[in-house]
Amino acid sequence: METYLAMRNITKIYDSSNVIANDDVNLEIRKGEIHALVGENGAGKSTLMKILYGMEQPDSGQIMINGKEVKISSPIAANAQGLGMVHQHFKLVKEFTVAQNVVLGKEPKRGGFLFDNHRATKEVAAVIEQNNFHISADTKISELSVGQMQQVEIIKMLYRKADILILDEPTSVLTEQEIQRLFETLRRLVSQGKTIIIITHKLAEVKGISDRITVMRNGKVVAVKETKDVDEHEISRLMVGKRIVFDFQREEGFCLDPVLTMRDVSVVRKRQKRPLLDRVNLAASTCEIVGITGVAGNGLTELEDVISGLMPVTSGTVFHNDDDITDMTAMQLRDRGFSYVPTDRLNRGSSIQTSIKENMIVTSHHDYLNKSGVFNREKISTHVKGLISEYLIDGSEHAPIGTLSGGNIQKVILARELERVKDFILFSEPTWGLDVASSDFIYEKILEVRERGVAVIIISSNIDEVLALADKVMVMYRGRVVLDREISEELTREFIGEYMLGLKDDFADTRVDAEGDSEGEK
Amino acid sequence: MILPTLELMQKGIVKVKNNRSSNMFVSLAGLGITLGIAFFVMFIMIFIMSDTPKDTIYYFFAGPLTNKYYFGNMLNAAIPLMLTGLGISFAFRASMFNLGGEGQVYIGGLAAASVCLSLPGLPGFIGIPLSLAAAVAAGALVAGLSGYFKFKWSTDELISSFLISNALIYIVDNIITGVLQDPESSLLTSRKLAEQFWFLKIFPPSNLDISIVFIVVLAFLAYFYLFKTHQGYEMRICGLNPEFARYGGINVKKYFLLPMVLSGGFHGMAGAVSVMGTQHMLFKGFSGGMGWNGIAVALIARNNPLAVIPSALFFAYLEAGAKSAMINADITIEIASVVQAVVFYLITAQAIYSFVQRRRRKA
Repeated sequence: METYLAMRNITKIYDSSNVIANDDVNLEIRKGEIHALVGENGAGKSTLMKILYGMEQPDSGQIMINGKEVKISSPIAANAQGLGMVHQHFKLVKEFTVAQNVVLGKEPKRGGFLFDNHRATKEVAAVIEQNNFHISADTKISELSVGQMQQVEIIKMLYRKADILILDEPTSVLTEQEIQRLFETLRRLVSQGKTIIIITHKLAEVKGISDRITVMRNGKVVAVKETKDVDEHEISRLMVGKRIVFDFQREEGFCLDPVLTMRDVSVVRKRQKRPLLDRVNLAASTCEIVGITGVAGNGLTELEDVISGLMPVTSGTVFHNDDDITDMTAMQLRDRGFSYVPTDRLNRGSSIQTSIKENMIVTSHHDYLNKSGVFNREKISTHVKGLISEYLIDGSEHAPIGTLSGGNIQKVILARELERVKDFILFSEPTWGLDVASSDFIYEKILEVRERGVAVIIISSNIDEVLALADKVMVMYRGRVVLDREISEELTREFIGEYMLGLKDDFADTRVDAEGDSEGEK
Repeated sequence: MILPTLELMQKGIVKVKNNRSSNMFVSLAGLGITLGIAFFVMFIMIFIMSDTPKDTIYYFFAGPLTNKYYFGNMLNAAIPLMLTGLGISFAFRASMFNLGGEGQVYIGGLAAASVCLSLPGLPGFIGIPLSLAAAVAAGALVAGLSGYFKFKWSTDELISSFLISNALIYIVDNIITGVLQDPESSLLTSRKLAEQFWFLKIFPPSNLDISIVFIVVLAFLAYFYLFKTHQGYEMRICGLNPEFARYGGINVKKYFLLPMVLSGGFHGMAGAVSVMGTQHMLFKGFSGGMGWNGIAVALIARNNPLAVIPSALFFAYLEAGAKSAMINADITIEIASVVQAVVFYLITAQAIYSFVQRRRRKA
């Protein structure tokens, strides 16, 4: 098959952190293939795609489409070349309809300047029809599931007549079934003549969907293979470089004193019938990891916010040891020694324009003052440098955190939170979007902190992660706890999955009221 | 008087200091280019609008520097601008939009003058600090009120500070032309302050007084506070990402109040300094533009307290230049203001800075 798109000798250096993100990288994409770009976080695959999509400019190198060199100075220019990108974090306006989101920036106009909603809906509906999606063009985004939002992103690119679709970590937010549906969609698009580049580090998916693979490591391409010629172990070896063997050894708990207890905690939002959290009971004890899982939208986020003190509860009580901490603010909880690694690393977990140093001291800056209330710079610097080397963070203390890769940002947050941990820590989606090596590093740290006797809660939509780490597994469905069991052989992916989808409920008989919700299943 | 757009203001505060040396270079190179373009545009405008362009340009640029009187007065005019610029920098660093500077300056002047006028027998070394304190307190109170409203009811401080300030201006006007009106004067002004309250002149025959020395020191202290102390750190973090600050256990609501109080304090002091240092009386509308121009000064300085000093001087230089060209050449005050505005807009335009940044990345 002929080469459709080629990136030649691409080099990109971020001068603020002096990281060589891409080092003389070559990438060739053939017409009509699904090409997997794999590598760990920080391997340079996102940078490469940002260059291709015009969001970053390379320091050197060229991009060829159909043998002709093209200059791509912005995403708009990329669109014009037939490129479309679906970002890991969706860029959708929740209050707009599907059609309004899809046409945003290329709106059909009436009389030259009025937005033609009718035509927008009709045109988008046609695109949806052609490509066999099952969404209605006039639904509001806020009513869609995560998988459907992703479809909207794809439709957006198809509406812009994209021939080459770039998907950045498309499966990280999807459930098992949604992933299967996405793959069907991708195969259908390819059969219609589209070309697809998929950035991922989930090996099973690479094997399942792609035709060819380009593996990146440390900013370089280390291998280009036909998918059928390699197995998952081989890909993993290429990605990581050296093989990391990690065994989740579980020791028997011996010191189970409750640290954080929630009793009948509910959160109800005004004008909403179904509570966001519905009489949740939970206990996290010393030397114990509680793993809480569920499908997005079933109360995991609210639980995270309540435990971290960022969302007030409507009723119920929360205890820390024997103290009632129900209405305490995040600040008061911090004073009690709570540590917390949030899901939203970029907005909540860090301040992206601020340096690593200033990010690292946010919870502890009171400790670095001399008598007159002025920072002791040397002490801070020593402390931060220590953490940077201990957690193998790739960046200097003055580098703004926004210039780091996802894995490194998470390490900065982890370093800060573990550094101060006392008797309780909350992790929410600790490895979301991270590669194998970074994830293992984080798992290691989580187990280490449990060894020290700390009570750990992990909220994660990743079942495997929960099963691998937790001593106690809980499942949330529609704001309720539907499963709360000690870990055992019985708890398998499939078993948990039935609870996640609401097919089973251990506590069904304890709920007196009948199912009164009017909302149907999706 | 220049009213900057909200967009510009927001741009001004979101820029942060990243990589030190490279950022410094970008800032300086960017400033150099912008000044070049700004003055070039200014030349063209003067050539179009003036019949004696050579004279006009000469007086615009050299006018403020030709004699001690002009030069000293230019420095003197920079004093209140430094203070209001500092005040705005504090508020903007914390993402608090204090648009009430004008009223805060005015009430500061009133507070200082009231102390001096009601206690004329007081010796200077007690009276001056006392009036200054009163002025700072008055400004802080007024601005703090907006902060408190936000703290208590999440009122938008941008609107509340602006409205409160506007209302205050009329109240102060009323007091000046009523209770405080000098019966022997035909002007809308209070009686003259007793002489022991006047600041020491240090550059006669100009109006420049000793306060400039203290204010430069104050700018250094402000810088130190903002970047080296933990309160300054918390304030900046709250300004950059309040969600992160809250998560990190910082009392975010405290920083609705504190930066406004500090900001108002600086504005109040600007009023006092202007009354006791330069005018020696309180006349109606004396604050004309000091509050708004403080926003311009802070924007040019990118909310950096140290950069406020040159920025205020530059602003005062432009004002003095415009005045000198007006007196000595043929341009009108409107044209002078337009020229000033063009320079100001170009300087605050971020585009040139990002251009330099990009060029540097490539190099």
